[in-house]
Amino acid sequence: MKFETGKRGLLINILSLIVFTLVWQILVILARNDIFNIPFIRLRDIPTPVETWYALVGSMFTRIYGPSFTYGIINHVYASLVRVIEGGIIAFIIGVPVGIGVGYSKFLGNLFNPIIEIIRNMPPMAWIPLSIFIFVSGGSIFIVFIGVVFPIILNTIQGVRSTDTRLIDAAKTLGASESMIVKKVVIPSALPSIMTGLRIGLGVGWMAIVAAEMVIKSPVGLGYFIWNMGDLGRYSEMVAGMIVIGVIGYIMNISILLLQRRFINWVD
Amino acid sequence: MKNLMKILFLIIVAIFVAGCLESKKTPQVSEPINLVKMSGQEMIQRLGTGEIAGFIMWEPYPAIAVTKGYGKNLIFSGKIWTDHPCCVVAYDDDWYKKTNNSDEILKRMALVQLKSVEYINNAKQSDSPDHEQLINYTMQFGGMTDQVAANLSLADVEFVYNTNVTATTTFIQRIQDFGIFDMTKWNMSGYKNSSDYANSLVTNNYVEWAVNNKDENSSKIALKEPVNIRYAYLVNDIHELPFYVGWQKGYYRDLGINIVIAEGAPFQNGAFEMQQGFKGNTVDVGSLGIPPVIIHRINSNDFSNNDTKVGVIAGMNNEGSVIVVANNVTSMKDLQGKTVGFPGQGTIQHVLFLMEADKEGLKVSY
Amino acid sequence: MGRLVLSSVSKKFNNFQALLDVNFEVEDGEFVCLLGPSGCGKTTVLRLVAGLVAPDDGIISLDGKKINGVNKECGFVFQEYALFPWRTVKENIEFGPQVKGMTKTECESISKHYIDLVGLSGFENHYPNELSGGMKQRVGIARAYANNPKLLLMDEPFGALDAQTRNLMQGELLRIWETEHISVLFVTHSVDEAVYLGDRVVVMSARPGKVKDIFDVKLTRPRIRTGPEANIIRDSVLKSLSTQIKLASHEYI
Ligand SMILES: Nc1ncnc2c1ncn2[C@@H]1O[C@H](COP(=O)(O)OP(=O)(O)OP(=O)(O)O)[C@@H](O)[C@H]1O
Ligand SMILES: [Mg+2]
Repeated sequence: MKFETGKRGLLINILSLIVFTLVWQILVILARNDIFNIPFIRLRDIPTPVETWYALVGSMFTRIYGPSFTYGIINHVYASLVRVIEGGIIAFIIGVPVGIGVGYSKFLGNLFNPIIEIIRNMPPMAWIPLSIFIFVSGGSIFIVFIGVVFPIILNTIQGVRSTDTRLIDAAKTLGASESMIVKKVVIPSALPSIMTGLRIGLGVGWMAIVAAEMVIKSPVGLGYFIWNMGDLGRYSEMVAGMIVIGVIGYIMNISILLLQRRFINWVD
Repeated sequence: MKNLMKILFLIIVAIFVAGCLESKKTPQVSEPINLVKMSGQEMIQRLGTGEIAGFIMWEPYPAIAVTKGYGKNLIFSGKIWTDHPCCVVAYDDDWYKKTNNSDEILKRMALVQLKSVEYINNAKQSDSPDHEQLINYTMQFGGMTDQVAANLSLADVEFVYNTNVTATTTFIQRIQDFGIFDMTKWNMSGYKNSSDYANSLVTNNYVEWAVNNKDENSSKIALKEPVNIRYAYLVNDIHELPFYVGWQKGYYRDLGINIVIAEGAPFQNGAFEMQQGFKGNTVDVGSLGIPPVIIHRINSNDFSNNDTKVGVIAGMNNEGSVIVVANNVTSMKDLQGKTVGFPGQGTIQHVLFLMEADKEGLKVSY
Repeated sequence: MGRLVLSSVSKKFNNFQALLDVNFEVEDGEFVCLLGPSGCGKTTVLRLVAGLVAPDDGIISLDGKKINGVNKECGFVFQEYALFPWRTVKENIEFGPQVKGMTKTECESISKHYIDLVGLSGFENHYPNELSGGMKQRVGIARAYANNPKLLLMDEPFGALDAQTRNLMQGELLRIWETEHISVLFVTHSVDEAVYLGDRVVVMSARPGKVKDIFDVKLTRPRIRTGPEANIIRDSVLKSLSTQIKLASHEYI
C-alpha cells in the first residue's frame, strides 16, 4: 500500500474525517425528517456528531448527583488501558520466551505446536464465559492476555525462524556459544517481528477488553460504560464511548509503530 | 506526518496521566460503595464466594441466597420507601392509537390484574386451599426448585393492582436528582415537572372500571371479538406473578383476550423490554419495573414520532426487592469501599439503593 | 602459526558427492586462492575448515590439531557480508571480543585498532544499512581480524563489488594481510583476482569437487596486474579452469 505523505497526505486525512462527519450528520438529519431512510435501520435514533460531541464533553469527568458518582470517560479509559497494559505485559513476558523456544528448538516446536495451534484458534471472546467462573478477579485481564499472547508468540516464532543462518554461522565462527547466539543474534534479529506481534496483539487485546468488560463486571471500563449507557437509552454517550474506543486503539497502534521506528532503526 | 504522530503520542500520554490523577483522586473524596452490574445467578454465586459484599435484587434471588446461607437480608425495600411501586402493566401508545377498541381491551386487562392479585393474596395464606397451586405457579414462573425459597419470596412481595400517581411523581423526581435522565431529551419532552410527567404517564381509569365491574360475570363483560395481545414480561421475576396467574388460570381468555408471548420475551430487564419491545413495536402490552418505563419514555424516545411512548394502566406489586449482604455486614456503612451487585443502570433496585445511600449520607459509584 | 592441512577430505550432502578426496595445504602466513566453477564445493571447503560442517571422510587440521566442532581460530569473511544489522560498525567488530568475555576497554581498543586498519574511522557508529558495499566488507574483514585468528577464510568477499572498488579492496586486503600476516584461504571466481592475490592458486574441478591443479605464483609484491609473468600464469590457470568449466557445463547440456 502506498500513502501520500507530508502536508498533502495530512490534508487528505483531515478532509476525509470532515466528510465522514458531515455524511453522518446529514444522513441522521434526513432520516429524522423522514426524507430518506435505510430499511431495517433506525437511522433516526443514531445521535448526530454534534450530539455525540456534547455527550463526550459532558461525560468526560466524574459527575456527582446526590449520592451517586458517575465515573467519567477518563476513568473508564484509564481502567481499560490499565487492563490492556497489564494483560499485554503478562502476555509479553510469557509469549516472547515461548516464541523463542518454540521457534529455535525443533523439539520444543514439535512439543508445543499442536497446543498453540489449537488454543490460538479459540477467539478471546470464547474465553469470556469460562473466565467468569474460574477467575475471582482479573478475568478481563486474562481475556486481554489471550488476545495479545498469540500474535506475540506467532510473530516471535516467525522472527526467530527467519533469522539469517549466515548470521548464526558468523556468530559461531566468532566464538559464540549456543546461548550467546540466542541472546545476541536470534533475539535481536527477531525483535522487529516481536514488536509487530505486540502491536497486532494489543490491537486484538483492546477489542477483547471492551467485549470482556461488557460481560465480566467491574465498575469502570469503556466496555462497561457503553453497555450501561445503552441500558439507560443514552445513545449519544454510548456512541461517544465507541468513538473513544476507536481513537484510543488507533493511537495505541501508532504509538507502537513510532516506538518501533524510533528504536529499531536498523531495518532497511 | 511525523509531527502529527508525536502529537498523538503526547495525547495518549496526557490521557494516561490525567486518568492516573483522576482515578487516584476520586475514591479519596469518600469511600463509595461500588455498584457492579450482574445477573441474579451471578449475585448468588459471588456472594457465596465472598467476591461481593452484598447485592440488591428482586425476588426470588434474595430468598435463594438466604436459604443457601450465603448471606442475610439487610434491608427490605419497604423499609427504604414504604409501599413503593415496583412492577407495573404498561401499553404501547402506537398500538393504542391504531386499535379502535383499545380502551375496552385495557379495561379488561386491568380487571385480570385485579382478579389475579386477589387470588394471590388469598392463596398466600398457608391455610388457603389454593396455597399449593400458588406455590407451584411461583416455582414455575420464578424458575425455582426450592419450596422454602418460593414461600420466602412470596412473603416479601406485596401484590397490588392499583396505580399510584403520587409515588410515581416521587420516583420521577429521584431519577432526575440522580442524573439519570438525558437532559436534552427531557427538555424535548415538554413536561413542566415530575408530577406533570407522572400524570401523563399513569392512567387510573382502567383500574376504576375494573373495581366497578369485578363482580360481573366474565362472559357478560367479555369482548365480543377475541383479540390477540402481544405481551412481554421479565424473566423469572416473581413480581410479575399476577400476569402468570391470569394467564395460567385463563382470566385473560375468559375476557376475550388471547395472550401471545411477544417476540424477544421474556426480557432480561426492563431496559430491553422498552428499547426492543415497545420501541420496536413488537409489544402491545407488557409488565416491567416502573423506572425503566419512566427513564426510557424520555431517554430512548424519538420525540418526532413518540415511538417509545407507553402508558401505565395497573400495578403489579409494591416493594419486593431486598438488599442482601454477607453475614459479617451489619449496616450500609459496612459496604463502603466494597462491591455490591445490582441488576443494572436505571432499574428499580438501582434507584432504591441510591435512595437508601442518600438517606445514610453514603456515596455510590458506578 | 596457522598451517592448514586437508587430507583426503570428502563430503556428501544426502546422495550428492560435493567433495571427493580433497588434498591441499595452506602454509603458515601463506595466501592461498581457491578457484573453481560454480557449485564445485569451494564454500563447502571453507565451511568444513571453519568447523560449521563436519567432513564424512578425511582429516582437516590447523597447526596439527584436528578440527572438531566450530573452529574458533578461523576468521570467516562472507560473500554477502553477514554483518549484524542491529549493531553499529564498532559493535560488529567487538562481537568476537565480547563473546570471549573481554572487558569493555579491551573491546574498545581492539575495535579502534581494526577500524583504523580498515580505514573506517568516523563511521564507528554507523549501522550496516548506512554503508556502501565496500565499507561493509571492510567491517566484515575487521570483524574477522578482531578475533585474532590464525587463518582467515574469505568466501568471494569482493564478488558483489564494482570493478574499481574491487581493485581498491584487493590492495587494501594485501596491505592488512602484510601488517597482520596470518594465513588466508581466499575463494574467488576470478582468475585475475586469484593470480593478483595468491601465493598459490588451487583449482578445483566439479562433480565431484576435487583439487585439479595447484599453481605457484612466485611473483614479488606489489604485483603488476598485466605483467608478462602474471599473464603466463593466468593463461595456464585459465586453461586448467576452462576445461573444468566446459566439463561442468557439458553435463547440463
Ligand atoms: N547444506 C547443503 N545441503 C545440500 N547440498 C549442499 C549444501 N551445501 C552445499 N550443497 C551443494 O554442494 C555443492 C557445492 O556447494 P558450494 O556452495 O560449496 O559450491 P561453491 O563452489 O561455493 O559454488 P559458488 O561458486 O556458486 O558459490 C552444490 O551443488 C550445492 O548445491
Ligand atoms: Mg560458494
